[in-house]
Amino acid sequence: MVQRSVSVFALFLLVSLAGGAPASPEGSFQAALKARAAGDWASALASFEEALGLDADNLRYGSEYRQVVIQTKDHERCLQFFEKLVAGHATAANAYLNYGFAYVDKMPVAGSITQVILANAALAQFTKAIEVSPTWLAYYTRGNSYLFWPKIFGRTPLGIADLEKAMAIQKKEAKKSYHVRVYVSLGDGYWKMDDLEKARATWSEGLREFPGNQSLEARLSRNGDQLKAYIEDAFDPSKRVDTNLSEMWAGR
Amino acid sequence: MDRPTSARARNSRRALAGLFVLAATVAPFGLWAWSSQREIRFVEVAEKAGVKHTHHTRQFPGKNGDILNIFTAGGASVAVGDYDNDGLDDIFLTDSRVGGKCRLFHNDGNFKFTEVTDSAGVWRGNDERSIVADALWFDYDNDGREDLLVARFGTPILYHNEGNGKFKDVTATSGLDQFANTIAVIAFDYDNDGYLDLLFGNYFQPVNLIDLKTPHVLPNNLDNAINGGGVTLWRNTGKGSFVNVTKKAGLDKHTGWTTDVGHGDLNNDGLQDIYLACDYGTDRMFFNNGDGTFREVTEKAIGFDTRKGMNVDIADYDNDGWMDVYVTNITDEYMKECNMLWHNNGDGTFNDVSRETGTCATLWGWGAKFGDFDNDGWQDLFVVNGLRSAGKDNYIPILVNMIVKPGVDFSDVNSWPPIGNMTWSGYQNKKLFRNNAGGQSFQEISTRAGVDNDRDGRGIGLADFDNDGRLDLFQTNVDQPAMLYRNVTEDVGNWVELLLAGTKSNRDGIGARIKLTAGGFTQIREVNGGNGYAGQSMRRVHFGLGRASKLDAVEIHWPSGTIENVEIPINRLTHLREGTGVVPK
Repeated sequence: MVQRSVSVFALFLLVSLAGGAPASPEGSFQAALKARAAGDWASALASFEEALGLDADNLRYGSEYRQVVIQTKDHERCLQFFEKLVAGHATAANAYLNYGFAYVDKMPVAGSITQVILANAALAQFTKAIEVSPTWLAYYTRGNSYLFWPKIFGRTPLGIADLEKAMAIQKKEAKKSYHVRVYVSLGDGYWKMDDLEKARATWSEGLREFPGNQSLEARLSRNGDQLKAYIEDAFDPSKRVDTNLSEMWAGR
Repeated sequence: MDRPTSARARNSRRALAGLFVLAATVAPFGLWAWSSQREIRFVEVAEKAGVKHTHHTRQFPGKNGDILNIFTAGGASVAVGDYDNDGLDDIFLTDSRVGGKCRLFHNDGNFKFTEVTDSAGVWRGNDERSIVADALWFDYDNDGREDLLVARFGTPILYHNEGNGKFKDVTATSGLDQFANTIAVIAFDYDNDGYLDLLFGNYFQPVNLIDLKTPHVLPNNLDNAINGGGVTLWRNTGKGSFVNVTKKAGLDKHTGWTTDVGHGDLNNDGLQDIYLACDYGTDRMFFNNGDGTFREVTEKAIGFDTRKGMNVDIADYDNDGWMDVYVTNITDEYMKECNMLWHNNGDGTFNDVSRETGTCATLWGWGAKFGDFDNDGWQDLFVVNGLRSAGKDNYIPILVNMIVKPGVDFSDVNSWPPIGNMTWSGYQNKKLFRNNAGGQSFQEISTRAGVDNDRDGRGIGLADFDNDGRLDLFQTNVDQPAMLYRNVTEDVGNWVELLLAGTKSNRDGIGARIKLTAGGFTQIREVNGGNGYAGQSMRRVHFGLGRASKLDAVEIHWPSGTIENVEIPINRLTHLREGTGVVPK
């Protein structure tokens, strides 16, 4: 009996010394942030992945992880990681969202045809996120993604439909700073469908809700070709889309 | 992928700033003011001039026939050359359908042409095994007469100019017996032995598309394909034959889908370098080592890209003494690649300034050529475009459904949906960019200039067909009639045209550089052997002089290394002979 107790204690010691104690997701996340701050990208990536493995649905972990991936250009590793993550966590809606964003993050370093493939793959993941949890973020994300597709592909109405759902959700919530994005994108969607009146009405309503917003002011102060150039520039596929979601947890 | 790294982007900004400074300091204000008043104008006169030619693409049998048709939808080529040395540039045009007739039009003067195809004996090329894709005038035996090469998806045809208006097929003894799917060809003397060599740009690998043994003949990747035909370099032995020196020259490792090839002295060392524009992947640049070999400088010079290169033209658009490169890509509603205007930094690197100069977007681009259309001393740029103008339905959404299908094999002809009568990047208006004097920006003026047709353009031939000192335009189109634009710009600037004849150098003087100083600044031109997709321009070099009424200096740098200073009159064509200087016609 004594001998058995000694063995169990020895095993506990061994596990503790080997660092095998169960890690906490927040502990791994903090380790990742530290490594990132120190420029130790390899450790940062490993720790972010560990944190996500323990809390797959954590939107922030995934977002911060992807920002490091953008720096290190480890896009294939990131996509493979999220592929496995969602396979093991089929109800983690935010994991699907981050998986979709991982495709978007790769687009600026891809050729024009590969960009189409990546954009389509991203949409598939955003759709799964909506199927699991139809949140404001999921609808806004997919809706805005549809708007990047040229009108010829017929996806703009799908984008408008998603953005209208996001608008309905945000009108029932307390106002958040990021809600202004839906006014911008939904107006852009109407503009793309040649409904300038509705576009301007949406942007104007947004400006009443969010006075001084530069994106809305810029659109409302332009007409014709100037407005076209401004909006087309916003949807230029060769430019990196900011997929940093920090505004979501900034508490504003 | 966008090429510029952050360092490259910094270089770009620096280079641009330099451009503005340069423009402000070297270009006389008077010249600028003058140039801004000119309205460039063209009138289409093909039918009136007697140049009637409609190109036809090759039709392929079977259920994948229309996919092979669209992948081979080039072949509408123009080659401008004075085959009978009468001082007027003639026109050779290609067709691509089975039995389709290539045509030779003799320039009778005053914008009248007579078809002489049958008497010349140069109509052939399209048969069950071969598809005509490009054509080139060059004097391979230095006898003073332009011979004719017809490049094909197949083996090329070489015609010797017999000097009596007739041509003799000498392919059998030329050594040019290697099957390739050639889409572009240029002639230049890469080893400076006094004989013109041939560089072929090959699109597909050397498979017979007419009798497919495998369906896996298309690009294995649409952004980074490495299963194309590369290039083949043929050295002229000087005895009427050519030998394949691709490997020896160091060009055999390039396996991309070459769409066009161009040559020029890109690093001012007196040797002819090459630029390869490639579809479905990176373009490539090679510098000439001067010992019969080339070294690849792509990564340092321009970086690797993923675009759909279609055309190479090389010219010093900003008059800074360094040859620049213009490449067309695809910039359409559904694909925003941007063309590339490679500004030569003079240190072995180039910066793409197409966005900054306004020459980025020309839709589905094909041939593009620099030329000074108003003789103001600054080279303008004409670009043709358009893939397939057909029915009202658009092929793109259908194509994209295939592209995004997981695991699809792009190389398999069977993967591609039939196109039928659908349009794909069709009905596109051509672009004429006027150089705003200084080369820092261009203005698109195609509508005002009368060249904004919406045919499916391919090649461009620039020539002064009526010897009036104004550059005219010839435009080929696939499955549509070709177009001849007469330059009717009024009150153009003064000008100079030079026709060179080498003695130590190759007879055509290809690769010679001319430095001309007038009106306070210097321009350079090089005699080129067919730069530009599916289009060879006249061999003469043309300079616009603006208001300058006298030339301060004209320096000829022959490929042999000889440098000659000559005195020549303005507003006329002058003949120059290496070692002699100005000679009578």
